[in-house]
Amino acid sequence: MLIDKEKCSGCGRCLPYCPYYAISMVDDVAVIDQVLCVECGNCIRHRFAKSGEKAIYSASSDSVILKKHYKKVNRCPNNAIYEPLDEIDGTPREVRRFFSNPATSHKLTGVPGRGTEEVKTNDVTGRICRGEIGIAIEMGRPCLGTNFVEVEKVTIALAKLGVEYEHDNPLTHLMEDPIKGTFKEEYKQERVISAIVECRTKLENMETILEAIKEVANELDTVFSLDLICCFDEDGTIPVLSGLEKLGMTPRANAKVNLGMGRPLVISREA
Amino acid sequence: MTHSLHRRGTDEYLENDFTLLVTAASGINHIGSKEGMIKILEAVWEIGPTNIGSNERGTILSGVTVEQIREGFTKVPRVRCNFATKEKAFAAIKKIKELDTGMSVTLSGPTKETFKMCKEYGIKPHSINLSLDVWGKKDKLPSEEVLELVTMCGHGLVGRPLIEQTMEKVKRGELSPQQATVNIGHLCICGIYNTERAEKLFEKYAPNK
Repeated sequence: MLIDKEKCSGCGRCLPYCPYYAISMVDDVAVIDQVLCVECGNCIRHRFAKSGEKAIYSASSDSVILKKHYKKVNRCPNNAIYEPLDEIDGTPREVRRFFSNPATSHKLTGVPGRGTEEVKTNDVTGRICRGEIGIAIEMGRPCLGTNFVEVEKVTIALAKLGVEYEHDNPLTHLMEDPIKGTFKEEYKQERVISAIVECRTKLENMETILEAIKEVANELDTVFSLDLICCFDEDGTIPVLSGLEKLGMTPRANAKVNLGMGRPLVISREA
Repeated sequence: MTHSLHRRGTDEYLENDFTLLVTAASGINHIGSKEGMIKILEAVWEIGPTNIGSNERGTILSGVTVEQIREGFTKVPRVRCNFATKEKAFAAIKKIKELDTGMSVTLSGPTKETFKMCKEYGIKPHSINLSLDVWGKKDKLPSEEVLELVTMCGHGLVGRPLIEQTMEKVKRGELSPQQATVNIGHLCICGIYNTERAEKLFEKYAPNK
């Protein structure tokens, strides 16, 4: 994202909309730090529901859904902020956009967002079947963001254990060597809201891999949110719970459950 | 959007926070799925989600109508929404089960309640994505109060700077909790931000509280 200095009125309205404090005032105009900007599009997105005293809420609902009296306005009153797509397209910087702006679909996978559909369509993709686990490490979430130097610390650590990186995850396509978990040099300094390291392995490898993840966490200059995916057993039990207890890793009380309504249903991997 | 399972907060708030995602699988069952997905969209809309939207069009909180969301369905259509009560969330699941479109359905929320519902409706869940919490440089994170509001956005677009500024405005009486909710909630472009929960969280900072 860039700001046209000539158009900027210096009102500062755009500053808090950047999740990473990339916008600041310099000589009475707003400027965007190109190192910090992750190209998420938050500062330029024109969808804006006016939240002033004219906002009217649905009287008949218990929610705050706006009824009709919203007003669309540009976040920047002078349209000074713009996205230089021609300059970004085809350069390493474009990965910032794909990994940060959910309104874009990655060219390689056609899937919007930063990873695969993980558990969302697992009942029909069979990405993770019985006897297997899926691990998703969302680097940079919450709040801090990440560059690929940080992501690489994790992917190298896990590659040593022989994990198989998810082919349909856009991250895998930025790798120099997926066997070693290394990234192409040109992407390493690119900053994004988050990047999801996804891999699949056999259930019996879970403890070794989670121990390695705990260890590499201490080397990071950012945070990650950790997901563990598995199928329910035939009797409805969750097969990973006893292993997690041994590791002292208690799952949080809220989780994402695939209800098994998709067709055709896949739950076992064919030999 | 792995983040719908990483929502932070106390049990009191999390028990009224259910994110529903209905998804066609690209290359497997997406062809011809639009008609069924439209039926699902209309059914969940009638039940009354606290938020609904699409990456392509935005959310009802940003002025998009449900008709626009429907018209914006791509060849791999999806429904994303949030319910602020378990009764509404489970009514939506019941309806989707009756529609039997063959689309994948996930529900993020307190597992205890979700499992009870599955038993009641005769649903055999397929797989689960568990949250094993946050790791790494956690001392760089903002307060838990800010994180509760940040983590309701599945893509990290509702950021710390705006939340902290909005909290201050609520404390000074410049914004009502409702206005504060709209101020931050419209940044979530897929429609899973729980606006009712956000409003309750902001109420804690209002000067008359």
